[in-house]
Amino acid sequence: MNKKGMGYAVWLLLAACLYFFENNAGTRVILVCSLVFPLVPPLRAAFFGPDGTGGKNGKRRQDAGMRNRPGSEEMPAEPLGNVRLYQPGDPVQRIHWKLTAKKGELLVREAETVRETAEKPAAAAMEKPKGTRDRAAWIPVSGIVLCLVLLAAVSEARRGAMALANRVFAASEAANAYAYARFPVPEGQGVALAAVLLGLAGALLAALALRTRSRGLVLGIMAGMTLFQVYFGLPFPAWINLPLYGLMALGLVRRPVPARAPLYGLIAVLAVSAAVFSLFPNVDPAVESASERVRDWLGRMAMQLSGTAVELPEGETETRHVHTRSLEAGDREAGAEKEYRLVTVEEEQVSAPHRVNYLKAALLLLLAVALVSLPFAPFLVLNARRRKAAEARKAFLGDNVNEAVGAIFQQVVAWLEATGYGAGNRLYRDWAGTLPDSMEAGYPDRFSACAADFEEAVYSSHSLPEEKRERALALLKETEDALWRTAGRKQRFRLKYWMCLCE
Amino acid sequence: MRPQLENVLREVEKVIAGKRDVIEKILLAMLAEGHILLDDVPGVGKTTLANALSKAVGLSFRRIQFTPDVLPSDITGFTMPDRKTGDFAFRPGILHGTNLLLGDEINRASSKTQSALLEAMEEQQVTVDGKTYPLEKPFLVIATQNSIGMAGTQLLPYAQVDRFLVRLSIGYPDYEAQMAMLRDRQGKNPMASVRCVLEKDELAAMQQEVCAVTAKDAILDYITRLTMASRAHESVAVGISPRGALFIDRAAKAKAYLENRDYVTGADVQAVFRDVCAHRVLVKENETGLTAEQVLEELLKKTETPDRHSRFQGMMKK
Repeated sequence: MNKKGMGYAVWLLLAACLYFFENNAGTRVILVCSLVFPLVPPLRAAFFGPDGTGGKNGKRRQDAGMRNRPGSEEMPAEPLGNVRLYQPGDPVQRIHWKLTAKKGELLVREAETVRETAEKPAAAAMEKPKGTRDRAAWIPVSGIVLCLVLLAAVSEARRGAMALANRVFAASEAANAYAYARFPVPEGQGVALAAVLLGLAGALLAALALRTRSRGLVLGIMAGMTLFQVYFGLPFPAWINLPLYGLMALGLVRRPVPARAPLYGLIAVLAVSAAVFSLFPNVDPAVESASERVRDWLGRMAMQLSGTAVELPEGETETRHVHTRSLEAGDREAGAEKEYRLVTVEEEQVSAPHRVNYLKAALLLLLAVALVSLPFAPFLVLNARRRKAAEARKAFLGDNVNEAVGAIFQQVVAWLEATGYGAGNRLYRDWAGTLPDSMEAGYPDRFSACAADFEEAVYSSHSLPEEKRERALALLKETEDALWRTAGRKQRFRLKYWMCLCE
Repeated sequence: MRPQLENVLREVEKVIAGKRDVIEKILLAMLAEGHILLDDVPGVGKTTLANALSKAVGLSFRRIQFTPDVLPSDITGFTMPDRKTGDFAFRPGILHGTNLLLGDEINRASSKTQSALLEAMEEQQVTVDGKTYPLEKPFLVIATQNSIGMAGTQLLPYAQVDRFLVRLSIGYPDYEAQMAMLRDRQGKNPMASVRCVLEKDELAAMQQEVCAVTAKDAILDYITRLTMASRAHESVAVGISPRGALFIDRAAKAKAYLENRDYVTGADVQAVFRDVCAHRVLVKENETGLTAEQVLEELLKKTETPDRHSRFQGMMKK
């Protein structure tokens, strides 16, 4: 089993744990979205980029090739002039191993192709010159500012916004059996202007976020959405929340994908978790009461800020206090029902004072994070390996011939060892005797000669001539060739993905 | 191999056939300025070998047969009153003016005599009655000890054995070698045909060059790991001393020099390790039943070679 499979297995195990630990709707949502996350190609690509995933690299490059040149489905990249025959001196990491295996002769990719495919095609579409982007951003920004100023300045709009908030509270009340602080506005206050202004501001904000792809903005919108849902106690249904948060999490990732993709992944996960918890406030009393406290706290802060601070009796929550007041005022709509609810609240508070189970909430959050991030772990590991391999290759062509020869020969030995042809803890000069028969005739001799070069490079204090590097490179090429030729399907997979032979 | 040393080897081989590897090791010890302990049965040509070597390299050669009544003053010299001048005169011992000393059956000498010789070996000088006399350079001792006929012998203490660079044994010749030897001795003694092919000064210069051979950190690290592992080995009572490590380094340099290289590789260390260390490892008795040689083999097998080790340690850069 390879590491990718291991990662999935561990993740599934954790999922099962979570399921038994907390069998509820929230768990199922986490399960579904963590399942879906790595499986949807654009999502994966957004997080790990075209060169992020070890496994999908070849395929992606192929995709890119097809997109660039329609009509070349069967033989991607091959007749297209971006591949040519290997010439001595070409970097080994340019070798197109797939085509090489097919054709039987060494083929290398051209330099520009590598760079071109390294970038996401979407990036080219999204990327705008900096100046135009900034100018375009002005319009929505000024629009938003204007809307907010109007909201604050025009009394009709201000009162309308308050009334709007009251309506939301009313909706929340109907859904949750709770009542919250209302704003003092005359009855029958029109909300049309405020709604238009707010809607306009929201739309402009969304447009701005889409245009600038600013991470701070997107994070802010996410936070605002969460705050809104928590404050009003009116969570959106899952089918709105999930895609919304998911899309915004995507917006956090700039293309081409930066090295900090895991961080953004984490943020996205946190966002999704937040959405899940705000979606199901009635799932877990702990979460529910946490949300309630936040609301209380926010309300108190608002009151203090506006100067209408009310001294609340110790040990009594604001919720009940407000309830009592609204009853006294004589709410005509459903007084009897409200009274009943009030009794319920009181009972609950007397018999079992609410305590937020922070430990449980933290544990759940941790599990959720683990669940959603674990599927990506194999890709991250593969990516790290790939980078390391590329760095090792860089040393092969360095200025210091001694170091280069040393590194090249160590690579040869590493290949032999990885494919089970190693002679273990022996001096490399003694390895020639145990090399596989599948190698070409004369290979052991060339190996011994290079081993001698290696010793000279590593242990002597004088520098080696350039042709020794060439000799070592030739040996490396021959070794890689031969190992690839003789490798089975499984072995090839290992060589390609795990040992990064193809790069 | 260097041509001059090859010549020496060929000259010595005239009298001792089929023992090329032993002669090579003796040359190696000579280059490393170390002393040799020959641990062998009688009559396999230890004296002949030393004699031929001294002739081929143009060294002044002396031989001392140790018996229990050989005294330290026989080795270091002594002062005695001169009746004519009425003064004390120094009578030099066997060490003075000698380049190559063959000490036969050193384990038959009394311990004080052994000490006298070994201290001179270590310090390359002799002090008698408060006066210090430097010894000839190069100074090389080949001491032999018979492994059979232990009656009347004093076993060399570990501290003394530690001062020899290598312990070798010549061993019996095989069929062809012995036939060749018998045939050679039919006429005149082949010893007469050994020519001097290397001067004393040249040897001294070579010893200087050996000192200048490069040994990188990776190699020194290998030597250190080997010796540390010997000390930690479960069936070893006393492991390889720091002096032993120093001797491995020197011998490895000489080996590299013999192979015409100016840098030491892991192979050099491995090649000299057994000979240099076999007499430095004291194996616990009745423990695992391993001999010192087996322990050394195990160490070589288990200790990571510098080639591999440098891969993970990044020592190549130094």
